[in-house]
Amino acid sequence: MNRPTGIDWRAVGVLYARETRLALRDRTIVVNSILIPVVLYPFLLWVTFTGITFVRGQTSDLTARIAAFGLEGGLGGHAALRKELETDPHVSFVTASSPAAGALDVRRGSLDAVLEVLPSGRAEAALQVRLTWARSKERSTAARERLTTFLDRVRERALKREGASRGMDGPAWTLFTLEVRNVATGREMGRFVLGLLLPLLFVVMVSMGCFYTAIDATAGERERSTWETLMTVAAPRSSIVVAKYLYVLSFGFLAGVLNLAAMALTMKSVTAPLLARFGAGLDFTVPTAGVLVLLAGALVLAAFLAAAMMLFAVFAKTFKEGQAMLTPFYMLATLPVGFLAVPGIELTTPLALVPVVNVSLVVREVIMGVFRWPQIAIAAVSSALVIAGSLRLVVRVLSAEEVVTGAFAGGLVAFLRKLLRGRSRPVSGKRAS
Amino acid sequence: MTAVTAAKLAPVAVRGLRKSFLDENRGEVRAVDGIDFDCAAGEIFGLLGANGAGKTTTLGILATVLRPDGGSASVMGHDVMREPDQVRRSLGFYSASTALYPRLTARETLEFFARIGGLERDRVRGRVNELIARFGISAYADTRVEALSQGMKQKVSIARTVVHDPPVLIFDEPTVGLDVLNALDMRKLIAELRSEGKCIVFSTHVMSEAEKLCDRIAIVHRGRIHATGTLGVLREATGLHYLEDIFVRYVETAGG
Repeated sequence: MNRPTGIDWRAVGVLYARETRLALRDRTIVVNSILIPVVLYPFLLWVTFTGITFVRGQTSDLTARIAAFGLEGGLGGHAALRKELETDPHVSFVTASSPAAGALDVRRGSLDAVLEVLPSGRAEAALQVRLTWARSKERSTAARERLTTFLDRVRERALKREGASRGMDGPAWTLFTLEVRNVATGREMGRFVLGLLLPLLFVVMVSMGCFYTAIDATAGERERSTWETLMTVAAPRSSIVVAKYLYVLSFGFLAGVLNLAAMALTMKSVTAPLLARFGAGLDFTVPTAGVLVLLAGALVLAAFLAAAMMLFAVFAKTFKEGQAMLTPFYMLATLPVGFLAVPGIELTTPLALVPVVNVSLVVREVIMGVFRWPQIAIAAVSSALVIAGSLRLVVRVLSAEEVVTGAFAGGLVAFLRKLLRGRSRPVSGKRAS
Repeated sequence: MTAVTAAKLAPVAVRGLRKSFLDENRGEVRAVDGIDFDCAAGEIFGLLGANGAGKTTTLGILATVLRPDGGSASVMGHDVMREPDQVRRSLGFYSASTALYPRLTARETLEFFARIGGLERDRVRGRVNELIARFGISAYADTRVEALSQGMKQKVSIARTVVHDPPVLIFDEPTVGLDVLNALDMRKLIAELRSEGKCIVFSTHVMSEAEKLCDRIAIVHRGRIHATGTLGVLREATGLHYLEDIFVRYVETAGG
C-alpha cells in the first residue's frame, strides 16, 4: 500500500459524516456510547437506594433470638434487665441448656446470640456481660447490634445514676469526653463524594464510547467486507485515518460529556434531596472553571483512548477478534483508576505523566475544587505527546500493506516486533491471487 | 509524470509489473512476474487466468491497494506509486469482495461515493438520481442495503463504482457468486459502459465470459501473460476455436 499523502479535509468531512451516520444506526454503539452514559447514574442510584431501603427494612424487622444466662434474678437487679429486654418486640428469648450449648446453636444458626451475665464478685451494681454471636451470619450480626445498643443504654444510665449518688455530674464522672466536629461544608462534602465516585465511572464511560466505535471503524469494516471498498475510494489514506480517528474520538468524548451531564443532573436533583431527608445536606455543585477543565479532560482522555484503541483494533479481522484484542487494554486503562479512588492520592508530577491516570486525577481534584495548575499543564503536555505518538503509529500501521490487505497475522506487539526488525513484507497469511 | 508523457500513454498502462509475497510454507511467491499491457478508452481488456494466476494482485496494484516490487503502472497518466490519490480519483473498482455499507440506503450509498469521488455537492443529487433511474434502483432507493437482495445489491454496487464518472473501470471477477440472470445483467452493464467510452480492465476465470465480453484477452498464468490479443488473433495463433482450448494450450506450453 502507498504511503499516506496530505490530508484532504473535505474528504475527512464526507467520511466522518458517513461513519457517524452508520454508528447512530448501530444498536450496540448507541447503547454503549449514548444510552448507558446517560442512564447509568440514575440507575445506579436507584439500585443503591432501593438496596439500602430493602436491607434496612429487612434488618430492622428481624427478631433477635437470644438465650440469656444470669438474668434470672440471682444477681439482684439484673432481672429488671430481662424485663426491659422483653418489652422489645424484636427480641425473643430461646432456651438453651448452657452457654456452651447456646454458642453451638449460634454457630448452627438456630440461635442469634447468647447473653451471659458473668459473676463479677465486685459491687452489686457491677455488671459484666459476655455476648456470643457469629459474624458470618446476618441475623446474628443484627442481633448483636440490637443487644449492644441496648446494653450501651443500660450502662449510660447506670453511670449517671452512680455519678449522681456521689454528687458528680456526667462529664466530671466520665473524666474524659470527646466532642467531634465536622467543619466541612455540605458543598465540600458533596465534592468529596463526587471526587471518589466520578473518575472511575468517567474513564469507564469514555473508554466504552471509544471501545465499540474503534472496533466498528476497523475490524467492523473488514467483517462487513467494506474495507477494500474504502481502500479504493478517491480519498487520501491519511484522510481516511483522520476521519476514523475523529469518529472514535467524538463518540468517546460524547460518552464522557453525557456521563458528566447525567451525573450533575442526577446528583443535584435526585441524590441531594434524598440525602437531605436522611439528614446529610450535601451540595454537588462543581465550580464553573472545573466544568471547563472536565470538558477538556474528557477530550484529552477520548483523544488518547481513541488512538490507542484504534491501534489495537486495526489488526482484528472480525468484531469478536477486535473485542478480544481491545479488552486487555481496556482493563489496563480502567483498573488503575479504580485503585486511585483511595483518598489521599494526589496529582503529583510523576503521576501527571501517566496517561489516563493523570486525567482521572485531574478530574477528581477539580471536582473537589483543587487546581494544581503546574501538574495539570504537565498532564496536558504529556497526554498530547502520547496522543501524537499513538496517532503516528496508527498512520504507520495503516500504511503497511499487509495490515491493509488483512494478510498480517498477529496484533500490535507482533507488528512492533517486525517493525523493529526492519522487515517490510508480510511473513504469513493469505495473499491476493 | 509530465503532461506530454501522460498524453502518449493509454488510460491504463502496465510495464514489467512485479510483485512477490513471502509465504510461511512456500517461501517467496512471485504473484506477478513482469506483466505488460495497455487498455484503451472504449475497450474491455480481459485478464483470463485460473485462481492464483496473479490477476487480483495486478488489479490490486492498479487500484493502489498493493505496492509493486518493480515495473510501473499508470492510470490516466498517473503513476500508482507516486500519485495514488489521483489514480483512485480516475478509476472505479469493483470486485466480489468490495461490499456495501449495510446500514446505508441505496441512495445514501451513492451520495457518499459521489461525494468522496470528488463530485461537488450541487451535482451529487442529479447524478445519483440519474444512476438510480438508469440502473432501475428507484423502487428500493431508500431501502437500507442490508435489506436488499443479491441482485439489487449488485446494481447498487456497479452504480457506486461509476457514480463519480471515472474514465477507467476495474472489474475483478465481478460475476463470482451471482446466479445466471444476475451475471447476464452484469455483463450487459459492463458492455454498456464500454460503449460510453470507458476503459475497462476485467478479470475472470470464466472462459465464456471472456469470449463474449472482452475486446482483447490476456492469458495469465503463474504471474505472467502468455498471450494477448483479440479472440480472432488467439484463434489464429493457436489454430484452435474455443477459448477454453486456447487457454489450456498456452498454460500447457508454459509448463503448467
